[in-house]
Amino acid sequence: MLTRITRIIRRDDDATVAALMLAPAAILFSLFFLWPFLRGLWISLTRWDGFSAPVFIGFANYAKLLGDKLFLGALENNLIFVVLILLLKNVLGLGLAILLDRAIFLRGPIRAAVFIPVTLSFAATGLLWSWIYNPVFGLLNAALDGLGLSALKMSWLGDADIALYSIIVVDVWKWLGFHAVIYLAGLQTIPDELYEAARIDGAGAVKRFRHITLPLMMPVILINIILGLSGAFVRNFDIVQVLTQGGPNHATEVVMTYMVKTAFQDGNMGYASAMGYALFLIVALSCVLLLGLMRRSKVEM
Amino acid sequence: MMEHHSSIRPSRAQPPFASRLFWKGLFAGRSVGELVLVYGLLAIVLVETLYPLFWVLSGSLKTKEEVIANVWGLPAGFAWQNYTEAWRVAGIGARILNSVVVTATALALLLLVATPAAYALSRLRFRGRNVILALVVAAMLIPPQVMAIPLFMTVRDLGLVNSRIGIAIIHAASNLPLSIFILRSFFLSLPAELEDAARIDGASRLQILGKVMLPLIRPGLALVTIFGFIEIWNDFFLAFLLLRDPALQTIPLGLVAFFQQYGSMWNLYFAALAMTTLPVIIVFVLMQKQFIAGLTAGAVKS
Repeated sequence: MLTRITRIIRRDDDATVAALMLAPAAILFSLFFLWPFLRGLWISLTRWDGFSAPVFIGFANYAKLLGDKLFLGALENNLIFVVLILLLKNVLGLGLAILLDRAIFLRGPIRAAVFIPVTLSFAATGLLWSWIYNPVFGLLNAALDGLGLSALKMSWLGDADIALYSIIVVDVWKWLGFHAVIYLAGLQTIPDELYEAARIDGAGAVKRFRHITLPLMMPVILINIILGLSGAFVRNFDIVQVLTQGGPNHATEVVMTYMVKTAFQDGNMGYASAMGYALFLIVALSCVLLLGLMRRSKVEM
Repeated sequence: MMEHHSSIRPSRAQPPFASRLFWKGLFAGRSVGELVLVYGLLAIVLVETLYPLFWVLSGSLKTKEEVIANVWGLPAGFAWQNYTEAWRVAGIGARILNSVVVTATALALLLLVATPAAYALSRLRFRGRNVILALVVAAMLIPPQVMAIPLFMTVRDLGLVNSRIGIAIIHAASNLPLSIFILRSFFLSLPAELEDAARIDGASRLQILGKVMLPLIRPGLALVTIFGFIEIWNDFFLAFLLLRDPALQTIPLGLVAFFQQYGSMWNLYFAALAMTTLPVIIVFVLMQKQFIAGLTAGAVKS
């Protein structure tokens, strides 16, 4: 009896302790993650300016998305962004990692140096690059002048045909070091004996890369692509907002910037919410598709 | 991870005819041609990475006219007044204070809330544990950006728009799932015997967490802090949505506002950029070994 009472007083059984330890996280998570997520689903089914009473309109917002040229344009830009970013970051990141792996002097300092842009904010990165791209006295056009390539000088962020690609370059510049560091750690788990044996068998550099490096790095590459996928879809607001604000004439509009404009300039909370969930659905489907493709290619291998 | 690579990587076989190709031993088996290629390409990457940063530093010491007339070169003199001027005009002191308040509050809250939750989810047995774990993993897959609108509405209803503490709470909440996941993997890597011994000695769970476990998962706490710091300190999106009052703007928001408000004071922009990014770069360079080790350890773990 006495021990039972002390046990209740001490309250040290797993379930009670767990409840107490999880309570703060549960409150924080429910209030600022779960509740907004569910509430947004409801908002996306209404017509709402954010102040008056919301009017339930079913899936009308989602139907409207399918015919909204600006949204579809933003989605197309978004997809170009995702594909090019994933491709460039991983190919160039792996390339840089191989260079670092083959270097013998100053490897640590060089690795640290290429990582520096990762620590900068998108705001700082964006401002830096808006000077580099400046058509009048920007670094890039000045460099082209210096190389005798003045014909290639452009209004890098003002030309609707190339502004999106200019932004993609900035994003790749910022994250290259991050991917290189991850890939370098992966490369260093490959034993040198494998390369040595291949060299003795007469395999050249290209063959060694194709038959040793690439297959052994595949798991790391796949994890990088999966982890980078949702970020490539949604983490582009900052850089676009700072560099072009979606312009010129929506040429660099992505879903996130269009969503924020719809909500806070047009005051259309329901429609903006629907964009968020439509994007989430596309991200989730892409993830499933990518995982399926990977599983199939694994079976073939 | 990196720093131990020499012990992980099996030693290279001695090349035959070592005396004839003595430089091959010196260059760890790389030919001169390969090294020239490797360092040539690395030099290009370094220039492409570092020159823009050097350009900011050099531009921050030029006069307004010099920035435009002399794009490439070093400044003729040291226009230190750029720094005092930018500090005053862009209100950098207040921005730094805001960023420190938001980031410190968010990280403290995050660690305080995520650590016991991760401990409970890794060490305690109770009903519903797997359901909660599944919820944590599912939440990691939902990018918080897609629910920006309802999040803004919830924050507004709670009266937390234009509140540094308010945005700190949101940051803590959106970093919570990943942080719990990372900390849990660190808790799981500790041997159970450690805890059993303390239990037999009569320690309560809370005492075990505080005195036995916390010192041992310090690398995990550091990793969560580093990830959280980069994310929160550099955040533009949430601050753009939730901090409308110019007096409360954080550094990224303040930099962009300064840039958009004042026409062509490039020398001042450079100075503002240098002042706000250099401290972070210096801290990173000083701590880069731990920083990169934590990052690659996390990547390898996942």
